[in-house]
Amino acid sequence: MTSLSFELTIGILKIFSFVVPVLVSVALLVYLERKVLGAVQLRKGPNVVGPFGILQSFADVLKLLTKENLLPSSSNKFLFIFAPMLTLILSLIAWAVIPISSTYVIANINIGILYLFAVSSFGVYGVIIAGWASNSKYPFLGALRSAAQMISYEVSIGFVIITVLICVGSLNLIDIVESQKNMWFAIPLLPMFVIFIISALAETNRLPFDLPEDEATLVAGFFTEYSSISFGLFFLAEYANMILMSSLTVILFLGGWYPPIDIFPLNVIPGIFWFVIKVFLILFVFLWVRATFPRYRYDQLMRLGWKIFLPFTLIWVVITSAFLFYFGLLPN
Amino acid sequence: MFLVGSFFLFAAFLITTCIFVIFSKNPVNSVLFLVLAFLNSTFLFILIGAEFVGIILAIVYIGAVAILFLFVVMMLDIQITTLMFNIKRYIPLALLFAGIILAEIVYLTVFKTSKDNLDTFIRSKNNTEQIGDVLYTEYFIDFQLSGIVLLLAMIGAIVLTHVYRPTIKRQNIESQNSTTAEDRVKLLKIKSGEGIKDD
Repeated sequence: MTSLSFELTIGILKIFSFVVPVLVSVALLVYLERKVLGAVQLRKGPNVVGPFGILQSFADVLKLLTKENLLPSSSNKFLFIFAPMLTLILSLIAWAVIPISSTYVIANINIGILYLFAVSSFGVYGVIIAGWASNSKYPFLGALRSAAQMISYEVSIGFVIITVLICVGSLNLIDIVESQKNMWFAIPLLPMFVIFIISALAETNRLPFDLPEDEATLVAGFFTEYSSISFGLFFLAEYANMILMSSLTVILFLGGWYPPIDIFPLNVIPGIFWFVIKVFLILFVFLWVRATFPRYRYDQLMRLGWKIFLPFTLIWVVITSAFLFYFGLLPN
Repeated sequence: MFLVGSFFLFAAFLITTCIFVIFSKNPVNSVLFLVLAFLNSTFLFILIGAEFVGIILAIVYIGAVAILFLFVVMMLDIQITTLMFNIKRYIPLALLFAGIILAEIVYLTVFKTSKDNLDTFIRSKNNTEQIGDVLYTEYFIDFQLSGIVLLLAMIGAIVLTHVYRPTIKRQNIESQNSTTAEDRVKLLKIKSGEGIKDD
């Protein structure tokens, strides 16, 4: 019995060792985003709270916590409160299978990539429930848009993942990273890498695809009616999802915890450092895109997803598998 | 002990959520309970060691099918009273389907396989690899046929809903993208007092 409680304690400590860094890095990511946007737009960004304004996000969280949580009188109360919780829970439970290094992972399961795909596809429920439970027109339109958008881009994300899986021959995330020891998949599968990053932008509702919360036409989209900490939970979840999708990109295409070249001064640095650096670079691309591109129109978004990405990824799945089969490179 | 306990827990949840699916007054709540039912059946699949089937069930049914249900149901303006009134009409049909499914379950569990045979089949190899081994070899025809059935359903739905209306103005994306500034903007020098001559 003692061994069971010991294992339980270890498990809980492991979970905290993932969740706490993720939540702290969400706060830092928000700060980073405001700094990057400030730099791109020739402003200073936050610079008052703490040294270089680094405590700005923590101050914002405290402000949100002290505000009153408003419940619209015509809303469905239970679902209205439940939706932001669900969104945050889903963005955190996905971290259960993310391997930071070859040994450091909470659950090393055989179908890790499918688990991640499933959890990220559940993410739309938080948005759609929030939009419906608010019982108001802008949140509702935002929810409808996001449901259609996220389903559309999941299709191409699925095909991109299938291409990587054909090259690996396993659904285990650690196997996926270890098969990239000599060459990262970003090089032979470059088009898929680009499509994956663009689809990740659409899946996390980031600009230029942030139509669910398009402030020019929908006030604030699905979280128009949310205030105080329930808004804060959506905000946290969005940024936690960004970090999650970046880590998934790193695992699938950028060789996880492996250094760029396997030579002396680089390969003694611990793998966790390389992992964090790569995630940071992908996150910077997310912010860079936000500062650079204007928002898509909804029909352009749908056209890109269904008429360009879907056929292209489908053809690449066939080409990749034919290539591997013809040259006898198929795993196993 | 743990396995049996969790089986009864998830099975009880599954049956409860299914009952709520039928008796919820609000159709949106029904769909959300349906999602919970799918989730519980995923857990049941994972309990018997069929993690691939379980997670595929979650991806396909929760991640796509139920969202589309929710999408449609949210936009309907259903009168709750009429819906409850009509339920009695469907009871004979529902009983018929329930009977067919029950007969299938009895046939598969009692007559088709013996229990320990199934157990060694599941434990012997990685669940995903096993499905991969037989899907494109032994069950190739069945797999392709089910794909064609789905394709037919999709084409049928598109044909039913996609009516060509000549009055609707459509965008031609290629012509939009290929326009240049010269097609749209013209620089003219206008003498004062003459205005623009339209030519």
